[in-house]
Amino acid sequence: MNNIRNFSIIAHIDHGKSTLADRMIQLCGMVSDREFKNQLLDSMDIERERGITIKSQTICLPYKARDGKQYLLNLVDTPGHVDFSYEVSRALSSCEGALLLVDASQGVEAQTLANLYLAMENDLEIIPVLNKIDLPAADPDTVAFQIEEDLGLDGENIIRCSAKTGEGVDEVLEAIVNHLPPPEGDSKAPLEALIFDASYDAFRGTIISCRIFQGMIKAGDTIIFMSNGASYKVEEVGWFDLKRTPRKSLQAGEIGYIIAGVKTVSDTRPGDTITLKDRPCAAALPGFQEIKQVVFSSLYPISTDEYENLATAIEKLKLNDAALTYQKDSSSALGFGFRCGFLGLLHLEVVQERLEREFDIPLILTVPSVNYHFYLNDDSLLEVDNPAYFPDPTLLKGTEEPFIKASILIPERYMGAVMNLCMERRGENTNYHYPTPGRIEFTCEIPLAEIIYDFYDKLKSITQGYGSFDYELLDYRPSDLVKLDILVNGERVDALAQLVHRSKARERGLHACDKLKEEIPRQMFKIAIQAAIGGNIIARTTISALRKDVTAKCYGGDITRKRKLLEKQKAGKKRMKTVGNVDIPQNAFLAVLKSDQ
Amino acid sequence: MNGLYIHIPFCRRKCRYCSFVSQPCIGPPPAAYLEALLSHIRLYARVDWLKGEGREITSIFIGGGTPSLYDGKSLARLISACRDNFNCRPGLEISMESDPNSLSLDQLARCREAGLNRLSIGIQSFNERLLKIMGRSHNRDQARQAFCVARTAGFENINLDLMYGLPGQSPDNWRQTLNEAAALAPEHLSIYELSVEPGTRFAELSDRRQLTLPAEEEVIEQENLTCSLLEREGFERYEISNFARPERQCRHNLNYWRNGSYLGIGAAAVSCLSGLRLRNVEKTETYIKMVRQGLLPLADGEALSKEASFRESVIMGLRLLQGVSLTDLRLRYVLHPRDYYGPVLHNLIKRGLIAMDGDYMRLSAAALPVANQILAELV
Ligand code: SF4
Repeated sequence: MNNIRNFSIIAHIDHGKSTLADRMIQLCGMVSDREFKNQLLDSMDIERERGITIKSQTICLPYKARDGKQYLLNLVDTPGHVDFSYEVSRALSSCEGALLLVDASQGVEAQTLANLYLAMENDLEIIPVLNKIDLPAADPDTVAFQIEEDLGLDGENIIRCSAKTGEGVDEVLEAIVNHLPPPEGDSKAPLEALIFDASYDAFRGTIISCRIFQGMIKAGDTIIFMSNGASYKVEEVGWFDLKRTPRKSLQAGEIGYIIAGVKTVSDTRPGDTITLKDRPCAAALPGFQEIKQVVFSSLYPISTDEYENLATAIEKLKLNDAALTYQKDSSSALGFGFRCGFLGLLHLEVVQERLEREFDIPLILTVPSVNYHFYLNDDSLLEVDNPAYFPDPTLLKGTEEPFIKASILIPERYMGAVMNLCMERRGENTNYHYPTPGRIEFTCEIPLAEIIYDFYDKLKSITQGYGSFDYELLDYRPSDLVKLDILVNGERVDALAQLVHRSKARERGLHACDKLKEEIPRQMFKIAIQAAIGGNIIARTTISALRKDVTAKCYGGDITRKRKLLEKQKAGKKRMKTVGNVDIPQNAFLAVLKSDQ
Repeated sequence: MNGLYIHIPFCRRKCRYCSFVSQPCIGPPPAAYLEALLSHIRLYARVDWLKGEGREITSIFIGGGTPSLYDGKSLARLISACRDNFNCRPGLEISMESDPNSLSLDQLARCREAGLNRLSIGIQSFNERLLKIMGRSHNRDQARQAFCVARTAGFENINLDLMYGLPGQSPDNWRQTLNEAAALAPEHLSIYELSVEPGTRFAELSDRRQLTLPAEEEVIEQENLTCSLLEREGFERYEISNFARPERQCRHNLNYWRNGSYLGIGAAAVSCLSGLRLRNVEKTETYIKMVRQGLLPLADGEALSKEASFRESVIMGLRLLQGVSLTDLRLRYVLHPRDYYGPVLHNLIKRGLIAMDGDYMRLSAAALPVANQILAELV
């Protein structure tokens, strides 16, 4: 056990986590230089494009250190986005240490801080690493000072490297061996294994990623999940090399995988404890929580005959995404679809993109909503995450909405703008402090619903990209909610309805009308767009009728081009949903939530 | 009907709205290109497709660019080469495009002698200011003179190209150009709305917000003006943007709109042989080189399925005011639009956008201004 090190890398998006991981893989000789492809660890397209990881990935690196001994370094790669902070905390708790990777030209970001605190809560040993020292804009001394002074980390241990050029990466590996403690545990004790992730394999079912804290596990053992008592027979255990490598057993201190005939990823819960049926441990490992979806939206296929395909696609997606929930839904405007729950807006967008990209199903997502509490006159509580189920206002005694605590890290000069933004978004109890001279960590309690309404975009634009943001759920607080309906040519489009705070209703209504006017192409008749609360129209706009096209020259040489233009126009129309007789493009449904860029 | 198209990709200078394949050319256009055209004609004359039954050439169109940059002798050689090498129907229409400032009496007389019987003059506007803005290389007087020269040379079938919806153009300004054109009494008018095409100088200006086009209302007014004024003057609108006196429709272009066959000679020209479409290489140097080596200068081709060809014939045919002939569609594709399009067509008919008129299916008057919307449903 003394030659094992379990560690994770904490980094902000773009600070070079994947590149560093790839370099380490290369230095440990696991791939030849020819095979060395950038960013091996982030495997999904969408993740790579957005520079985010939504699932943990683990790799076990065989490393011969300068002391001449052979070590096993288990790198647990964690999701890097605020929507997935519970997953991050479970992955971190499987490790003894973490690299805090900071871009030497950018300094520490809010996201990094949040994950660093998570690591500290889990008593992890931290090795600060300054990356991108090869960049002309790099200012390692200032950033090192920031790390030492503000984060209270030992400046002695800061390593400087460039994952891109490879400079200093061997020092990082040495530090892992020398500064991180080896795992502790007793292989003879009853089994205590922590599930920190699971992924789906079409042939083997669920592959459980876990950390063995106590005891050992081998093929043939009967295990139980302590959260729900489900029991399974272990088929295979092993390590994560670049692929899975079966082992006779996994021992205390090790990180590896278990295959045990678990059908779907949803049958496992990150943070759950696995033990042996015959010889269970006394208590589950601490920190387990049920996953909580916070954003809800309905998914509809644009073409109604794709419903079955969508059902199959969601089912498949769910195999590998335990955080996604879904149930049947229907809308008078859009037909049959699914009401889905997501960890956050990013999770929602990732799911949408995967459905469209991997399953080729053009979708409409309805305006995202949070989960509201409604107290009725008979004192019963109704939880509603779908505007369609907004109760009759005359039966309502009170409403509550979820609040979050937002922490925003910004250069000082943006303080005023950010404070304004938070006030506009009904923020309360604002607070701030200076983690470093010139930088402010601003905290504020804000309704979650205000965050899903274009908050990220706004924050980014008012801070010119310098603001970073993280949040945690707080509690439910009294609110005054109304249902904002959108009517297109007099017809209520249920998929465009939103629940909003009364004080925001008019503003949102105007915004929705404007956005729809931008998004809905002119058609051969006039289109009236109205926003209403109950029977009251609070905002309106019209899209004038299309009265002419440009019909230019069309001769032999350009018949093909003309035809292709028309075909494109036709294909565009196919991606629209016809409500009444108005064609509404797919984008319109989410656009009502987005701000003007 | 089978057309023969010859492309001359040279112009005095590039007009600022132009997205056609043409390159500026100072002095006389290259003789090497003309020679290449003549070789290309001889190459194509050997193609078997042309020897099939009924495969005679029924119209020839020399377009560009500006074909009239070549002198009379060169153009006469070109026309004669076509007539000598292909099986041409007697009395076929032979048209050529031209620019007002590149026409001479001697040149036109030689062309006429060689068989040219229709001349198209790119006038675009009679307004000096607009001509400048468009970057045309002629002025108003040259435009009027060109027309007289053409008449003097004996041309009894003349087309004028005009454009509206130009930067800063008012309906009144357009009316003046229309009146002036009508007063010359040509046989045919091609009238296009300006569309700002990517890659042109106008597109650049428009990106920089330095191009003010008339508002939609004004363009609609210009459009209405065009139709009423030309109808009064005895022109019939027979295609979305083409007007002709009786019996003076452009036969070569009719063949395009009826999705017939045609041969394309010259750089970037397109051929359509019973539905197989072939595009020639675009670069003149490559074109000349390939033809010199005895190669057909083809760049790419397209063969549509029967149904796609059918749809293409429908959308092209609907550009004609008469519409598309159901008998013709049945003979060519064994398909009837009603069966093929089902509810889509039914709906368009119900909304009064498509009319069924005996053997013809056509766009209604209400549908003409928004033709693309309807064509996009049928493509
Ligand atoms: S004369 Fe015609 S082809 Fe030549 S540049 Fe002008 S518009 Fe284009």
